[in-house]
Amino acid sequence: MKKRNVKFYLAIYFKIISQDIKSKLSYRVDFIISTMGILFTNIAGFITFWIIFKNFDNINDWNYYEILFLYGFSLMALTPTQCLFDNNWNLRDYVYSGDFIKYCFRPIDLYFYYISEIFDLKGIGEFMMGVGIIVYAWINLKYSVTILGILALIVMWIAASLVMAGIMNIAAATCFWMNNSGYVMVTVFKFTEYTKYPIDIFNKGFRIFFSFIIPIAFVTYYPSMVVLNSHNLPILTIIAPIFSVLFFYISYRIWMFGASRYNGTGT
Amino acid sequence: MKKYLVLIRTGIMDKLNFRVSLIVTFVGNIIYLITIYFLWKAIYLSSGKETVNGMTFNDTMIYLVLATALFNMMEIFLVWYMGNQVRSGKIVFDLIKPIKFGLYMFFGQLGEVVVNFVVIFLPTVVIVYIVTGGGILAGKNILLFFVAMILAFIINYCINMLVAALCLFTESSWGINIMKEVIVSVLSGKSIPLAFFPNSIKSIVELLPFQAVYNTPLTMLINNNLSVENYVKMFGMQILWLMVLLCGAVWFWKYSLRRVTINGG
Amino acid sequence: MEIIELINVKREFKILNRREGIAGGIKDLFSRDYRYLSAVDDISLKIKKGEIVGYLGPNGAGKSTTIKMMTGILEPTSGKVLVNGKEPYRNRIENAQDIGVVFGQRSQLWWSLPLKESFKVLKEIYQVSDKDYKDMLDLYMSLIDIKNLWDKPVRQMSLGQRTLSDILAAFLHNPSVVYLDEPTIGLDVSMKSKIQEFIKGLNSQKATTIILTTHDMGDVDALCNRIVIIDKGKKLYDDNIENLHKMFGMYRIMKICFSKDVGELDYDSLKDKAAELEKELQENFSGDDMTVSVDEGWIDILMNEEDVSLMEVMNFIQSKQHIYNIKLEEISTEKVIKKIYEGGTIL
Repeated sequence: MKKRNVKFYLAIYFKIISQDIKSKLSYRVDFIISTMGILFTNIAGFITFWIIFKNFDNINDWNYYEILFLYGFSLMALTPTQCLFDNNWNLRDYVYSGDFIKYCFRPIDLYFYYISEIFDLKGIGEFMMGVGIIVYAWINLKYSVTILGILALIVMWIAASLVMAGIMNIAAATCFWMNNSGYVMVTVFKFTEYTKYPIDIFNKGFRIFFSFIIPIAFVTYYPSMVVLNSHNLPILTIIAPIFSVLFFYISYRIWMFGASRYNGTGT
Repeated sequence: MKKYLVLIRTGIMDKLNFRVSLIVTFVGNIIYLITIYFLWKAIYLSSGKETVNGMTFNDTMIYLVLATALFNMMEIFLVWYMGNQVRSGKIVFDLIKPIKFGLYMFFGQLGEVVVNFVVIFLPTVVIVYIVTGGGILAGKNILLFFVAMILAFIINYCINMLVAALCLFTESSWGINIMKEVIVSVLSGKSIPLAFFPNSIKSIVELLPFQAVYNTPLTMLINNNLSVENYVKMFGMQILWLMVLLCGAVWFWKYSLRRVTINGG
Repeated sequence: MEIIELINVKREFKILNRREGIAGGIKDLFSRDYRYLSAVDDISLKIKKGEIVGYLGPNGAGKSTTIKMMTGILEPTSGKVLVNGKEPYRNRIENAQDIGVVFGQRSQLWWSLPLKESFKVLKEIYQVSDKDYKDMLDLYMSLIDIKNLWDKPVRQMSLGQRTLSDILAAFLHNPSVVYLDEPTIGLDVSMKSKIQEFIKGLNSQKATTIILTTHDMGDVDALCNRIVIIDKGKKLYDDNIENLHKMFGMYRIMKICFSKDVGELDYDSLKDKAAELEKELQENFSGDDMTVSVDEGWIDILMNEEDVSLMEVMNFIQSKQHIYNIKLEEISTEKVIKKIYEGGTIL
């Protein structure tokens, strides 16, 4: 028996994903409608944002392009959760109907097996839009382009994505404890809309809340500072990569704990 | 009539069974409202102006708080439900019940909305009233608001029913639902008061049915300088859209069912 | 050698009492009231390698709880479960490597992938070597025709094809134990027997131990050498089917028809007649477990020949009414099981 290491899991993951994408592409109507849905959401978000800036020219001394950058970054940070962790949205139904049990008999990590089942292509449109907005904002902000800057942005993007996935892990895992956790997911997901705004509009209490309780500030604001405020990095930006790994791991443990508890109730 | 009362009762009981969801929705809303409070406070502070587009910071907050409460009260998951039923094939069981599907869903939803009104909307109005020291008028406008709210609920239901019928044709209910939600939430004035919209857009949005869902009842509740002419115009708009959408929804539902049954689903 | 061993296994659950009505719903918002339920109550069991065991019991008897403990996703409240000498819940993943599980109506395969692609993924997950994989597929081909399934995505399969695919997938890594939960539920007769033959073939070729839970006595008769019956968490019976029949060997079913044309009798009047007859028989004969039921125009009388004489019963009925036709039958496994469930006695 070979050891089940990262390589083993990656091999399985790519096997499943490549097959899944192949078969998904044969359902083109669904793909097009879903992608349109995602683009609609983002265009609407953009309109909201544009209307605000039609009436006011800055928010807390953040100008239009800086806020736009945050907006683009948040879209990019949401994409991996959308693409790779989408099965979390179905968790409630599986648990409620008892079908969740069918995931429990494979000799691999339960969370991995569950999450790997679905790869959601429609997030790609969102990602492209995010990249487009960031490039547009970057040009208008007249920042220089350096390899180090781009590398730092990529690292921060991964960190931000991990935090976002972690938040949704925990929100989804609530269904192991309560009946109608759909509300928890919807509610938590709504907050991500507010990741787009700079954290310094809040008072101290809520800054702490959004940094450490529901850490949406780590999804956009802190990671973005690596570009927007590169000369004076906040401490939380520096620790963001470590924080994100830790946070994701904790969310994974909570999810797994919930799963074992769920089986214990015999429903 | 009795069977409809039973449906409403079932809706109420379903809702009560989910105490956690009530608590979560409540806490979620509080945090959400705090977020928009800070956001708009920052916006107003940065602008250095007291009034923008005829609305002070207080006006904007009252509007947004009540819009959120109204939205939560009237939120129905019809499209989502339809999508699931169609995908699992369980829709057949709904269709063979000896009661029209549209009415069946309507009264079930009504039950939930009644609970939502008591646990979400009413407390919000009372709190806003106390906090703002009478920021909401209490007079004949309450009555008018009620009428507008009921019309708004039916309009909202018809919009949902129209979109839900689309689910009979495609399994992509997710995409359809999210598009509907986005359109309603932007064009109804739920996210940003219509007063902030640029004039050209505003004049178009005012002709659409979506603003009749949130903007109309809220304006009646909050604004104290409405002329009789304003009321007539707003109610007229609501009733007009209600009739159009009701006929549209009934027709489209029948049409879709026929199309789908002919094709054998 | 024992492959599965249950030693005084017990499992309890906490259950919420919901109150009734709207007022009850409001009360539930503020206080909750729990009770405890023993789903599995002191069960001991030994299963040898290569056995096919029918694990039977009415709904809610504790079958799936036992299966959950054997598969390692649930820990007993007390007692011990051993599979291959290890406690499965202490190491779920290690145990999972060596078992296969099938739920009749919950496909574990990837919904949108063609069967062959699902198999390739499973091959990776279970780390099956190329040779073993090929051997197993060859064995499959020799037992059953799967060509028409091979390129089909699971979502396009019929229920029968889907179940068959799930069974194929469960045996793919040559596990030592396979748990089958209602594998033939909802299937037509020909698919049922096809699946039964296939399972039997695999069991004899690979000596796979099979635990089968089902409500279908056809499955039990076709597959199981041994059955275990539980109810309310307690073990009622644990032996082979022949002994079960022997135990009820003195039971006979006398089928009586009162009319020339079976079709002209309507069900309701027959039912009334049966109830009346049951009452009369119980008054006149000592056998207290005589039951009378209706079966498509015939009236079935279940009786124990140790207690009552067949001829006496027949004469008694004849004296009241003209008998047009009469048949005698051995009791079926299904009827035996039903009697055990109803009686609830430990044999």
